[in-house]
Amino acid sequence: MTDNIDFMNDGSGDVRELDELLGAYALDAVDPDEARRVEDYLASNPRAADEVQQHREVATMLAFTGMDAPDGVWERITDELEGGDDVGPSGSVAGLLPFDPPDADRRVAAGSGSPTAAPVTGEQSDSGEHRDNVVPFRRRRAGTFLLGAAAAAVLAISAVVVLDGRASAPTDPIAEAYEVARDAAGAQVTDLAAAGSDVTATGVIGLDGQGYIDASSLPSLDEEQTYQLWGVLSDTGDVVSIGILGADPALETFTVDGIGVDALAITIEQAPGVISDGNPDGAYVGTFG
Amino acid sequence: MERTEDVRREYTDVSDASLVVSIGRYQQLALAEAYRRHAGAVFGLAKRLLGDAARAEEIVQEVFVRLWNEPNRFDPDRGTLRSFLLAHAHGRSIDLIRSDSARKRREEREVREQADGGYDVAHEVWDMALAEHVRSALDELTADERSAIELAYFGGLTYREVAERLDQPEGTVKSRIRTGLKRLRAELSGAGVTVGTGA
Repeated sequence: MTDNIDFMNDGSGDVRELDELLGAYALDAVDPDEARRVEDYLASNPRAADEVQQHREVATMLAFTGMDAPDGVWERITDELEGGDDVGPSGSVAGLLPFDPPDADRRVAAGSGSPTAAPVTGEQSDSGEHRDNVVPFRRRRAGTFLLGAAAAAVLAISAVVVLDGRASAPTDPIAEAYEVARDAAGAQVTDLAAAGSDVTATGVIGLDGQGYIDASSLPSLDEEQTYQLWGVLSDTGDVVSIGILGADPALETFTVDGIGVDALAITIEQAPGVISDGNPDGAYVGTFG
Repeated sequence: MERTEDVRREYTDVSDASLVVSIGRYQQLALAEAYRRHAGAVFGLAKRLLGDAARAEEIVQEVFVRLWNEPNRFDPDRGTLRSFLLAHAHGRSIDLIRSDSARKRREEREVREQADGGYDVAHEVWDMALAEHVRSALDELTADERSAIELAYFGGLTYREVAERLDQPEGTVKSRIRTGLKRLRAELSGAGVTVGTGA
């Protein structure tokens, strides 16, 4: 009621008249100038906004038709999303995890009577969880990638912090901690391998969330290039950048703070690395069993 | 394939609100599930409004691309995802209808529909049980209320145009649309049909 009085005092229009317009407004059956007046009214009157929403819900009931969307519409949607200006490389590190290469043809139909469904790139981790790989395309959307960005930030910062702590000598405390963590019961351990290569890196995540990546066996890169470490988050399947390993990687540490990681990958990128959609060519990939 | 079935099942069990959260996290499969659930209704509404399957497909595409790009625009506390999507589809369809080129096609379609005996909302409702409830609820409206709602929502007319079409005062039509929608909601709720309690 207070809102109504305030609105009337504003001289923006007659409340009763605006209330009478709510039904027509909910059905998009008002003129543009009236629509603007109603929208101003709704902004200051939650009760009226609720009423409009209720009218729309009723209209929703009337709109059920049981029709299926025609074949091909979903494909056009994905094509449009993939055609964004800020799309990453056609091949993404996401497509490699865990292990299967990207396959544009992996599109399956939905259940009986359903419209064509999305391209499904689901995989099952060794732990038995199912998840879809991260979408092979990403468009930047303001305010909608907080989780991925936040997770990446947490992990990346940890990795950066410990870069100075790298150690290759067996007597180094970090190397000793790595060996203890690797052999500890309950630790997640994986060997990251690349197709056609016998060289592997080893990833370890301890129960305390302390992570290690021993990439000392990987060949050195040109100085314009860098190795980059990625992780697949358990709860969302998102692939996030953990950190930059440099052109001549050794033993690095990172911290997984309250975030489950199901797989790791190391890609070769142009220095100083990329934010997302890592280069899948020659990537080293390992899943935690 | 078995694994992909499992992945899809994972999403089929979640609420619309959770789907939108996953969409916000770039989960394409969540968008696919939202599409599976609601694209038919979006297409059906747009096709009915536009009388043109090709343009209705464009509306479907636009609606779901927007959901992908701006999932935060959906507020589960304000209503259902289906209502959100249909409201967008309706609004965009109306924009097209009110353009001169589309208006002509719509009017031609209306002529055809009237020649075929007109349209009946309840006959196009998909679910048999729901159809019965909607039909009963519509029966509780006056003929004037029913006509006003149908012409406004499915005909794409403004209430002024409805008034002109029905040769009734604008204020009367405006009021009938509002009271008719309220009565429909009350009738449906009374019949145990959940109407828009959010996701």
